[in-house]
Amino acid sequence: MNEFKRFHPIVNFIYFLFVIGCSMFFMHPACLIISFSCAFLYSVILKGKKAIKTNLIYMIPIILLTAIINPAFNHEGVNILTYLPGGNPLTLESIIYGFAAALMLVSVFGWFSCYNEVMTSDKFIYLFGRIIPSLSLIISMTLRFVPRFAAQLKTVVAAQKCVGREVSGSVVKRAKNGLSILSVMVTWALENSIETADSMKSRGYGLPGRTAFSIFVFDKRDLKTLLYIVILGVYVLVGNYFGGMYFRYFPSMKGTECSVFSVSVFAAYFLMCIMPVIIEVKEAVKWKSIKSKI
Amino acid sequence: MKKHKKKIIWAVSVILLLVFVYWWGGSSPGLRGWNPEEPEQKTVETIVKKEVTSKAEVVKPPEEKTKIPEEVPEKTEEVPETPEEIVYEEPAEEPQEDTVCNEPEPVLPEYVEEIPSEVTPPPETVEPSKAEEDTLSYYQNRGMEIDEKTGMDIYNTTAVPEGKPIPIEPQNAVISDRELTCTLSVRCDTVFNNMSWLNPEKVELLPENGVIFAEQTVTFYEGESVFNLLVREMKRNKIHLEFENTPVYNSAYIEGINNLYEFDCGELSGWMYRVNGWFPNYGCSRYQLKEGDCVEWIFTCNLGRDVGGFKAASGE
Repeated sequence: MNEFKRFHPIVNFIYFLFVIGCSMFFMHPACLIISFSCAFLYSVILKGKKAIKTNLIYMIPIILLTAIINPAFNHEGVNILTYLPGGNPLTLESIIYGFAAALMLVSVFGWFSCYNEVMTSDKFIYLFGRIIPSLSLIISMTLRFVPRFAAQLKTVVAAQKCVGREVSGSVVKRAKNGLSILSVMVTWALENSIETADSMKSRGYGLPGRTAFSIFVFDKRDLKTLLYIVILGVYVLVGNYFGGMYFRYFPSMKGTECSVFSVSVFAAYFLMCIMPVIIEVKEAVKWKSIKSKI
Repeated sequence: MKKHKKKIIWAVSVILLLVFVYWWGGSSPGLRGWNPEEPEQKTVETIVKKEVTSKAEVVKPPEEKTKIPEEVPEKTEEVPETPEEIVYEEPAEEPQEDTVCNEPEPVLPEYVEEIPSEVTPPPETVEPSKAEEDTLSYYQNRGMEIDEKTGMDIYNTTAVPEGKPIPIEPQNAVISDRELTCTLSVRCDTVFNNMSWLNPEKVELLPENGVIFAEQTVTFYEGESVFNLLVREMKRNKIHLEFENTPVYNSAYIEGINNLYEFDCGELSGWMYRVNGWFPNYGCSRYQLKEGDCVEWIFTCNLGRDVGGFKAASGE
């Protein structure tokens, strides 16, 4: 299930730009919960059930670590719980802010993992290859580096296994074989990046007047989705500007009162975050109904 | 010319940006424009200093866990201070004489003799001979070692003016059981003059008359520093306090009291301390208290210019 991926790259990109930006800056607890749950749900839909486990494996330690580290350095807040051994106070606000910051961090991670699934490097180059050729090439190479490195590592390990250099046995032996694999990988990575750059240069990448073939068509569905994102996004930003999502952690926690206006801003934010999930579910339902008619 | 058109446009726009940033200055009173305001030596003379003449009762030592004196709320009532009543007097280079804290006599020989020898701070035990004393300056006599190249000691402190105590390193201080008393107050009334610069989230924290901790007599142990006293009294009175230890100055730095932090009222704001009418030019962990000292913690909005402590804050 990956219907949102088939949308035009500009729609994908603007959606992620809005959502990741809003997740980074909106610190209202309700916003954090909306953003986190949508990112979690969407990553599970994109990558299948095993994503639940991988998500939890990295999310829980990050949340706990940030929540513990924050009160160690931040002592602001009116509710003093106790005093730390150094003499500074431990405040309720700093603990809660630690949790909020951790949730924000984790939801941005979640959105980026979805971004990597949806925005492939060809889409990124399609969008930015003309405006900022060298930078977009570097960005796409960097984003591609880790998954490619992991894939190549698997190949190299398998090949080494065949010649009897398994990563098992005594510590010394393992370290020796591991180092030789590492050396192979580093050489490969360096050579590969130079090769890519050379190959792009030889094809005249970034030169004026160069054309590029792409099969992305901006159709009616894309226009509708783009309008949906832009209208909701503008409403959320304007609502935030007029204090619809106001919340402060220091010196004491205080937020907007629950009014029709603020609820509408939160609803708009939720509808924006949940959009790809709605698209996927809609497509799945459509597919099922078509199949049942046959 | 046409070839470099783009480069020229870039260079010009960068220069324009820098010029604009220079004009913008920063988020502090009087920093914007081509000629930033010259450091005026204004001193706020507040009514509170004149009015508070009676001293509160001696607070019992903290170990006895007695209750905090009930006079505190009453005291604040008898202080009819409002921001409108603040009078400016200029120019006033020296701290005002009419503070409650009177200037102490330069040296108290009788007092020095009173101190038992084992708790006497190390510098004062070595008394230079009469002949030597003439050639040495005031601070050298008292054991403050200043590097001639930089004009500062190892913790970046310039020479202490004559008649003022030299810094005592907290790791060398000998704290005895002898209880002594001094007065302590914490105020932030300068904020009322610069309300437009105050972080709007902090407005509700301000006490009505700007007095966070009304002047009262408190007990300390001989050898303790201003920092030790402040930490204990704030803890006892459940007032928030955050500090940070700065090894370069070998002292604690007070970041915020009562959730009013440095930079909360413009980028030149922060907490300063004054003992007996003088702003020490070294950190509060290195100022050893003496019997009867008058310690004031004051929030400045303009690097000490508005309270008369610019010299100490700027390090000049």
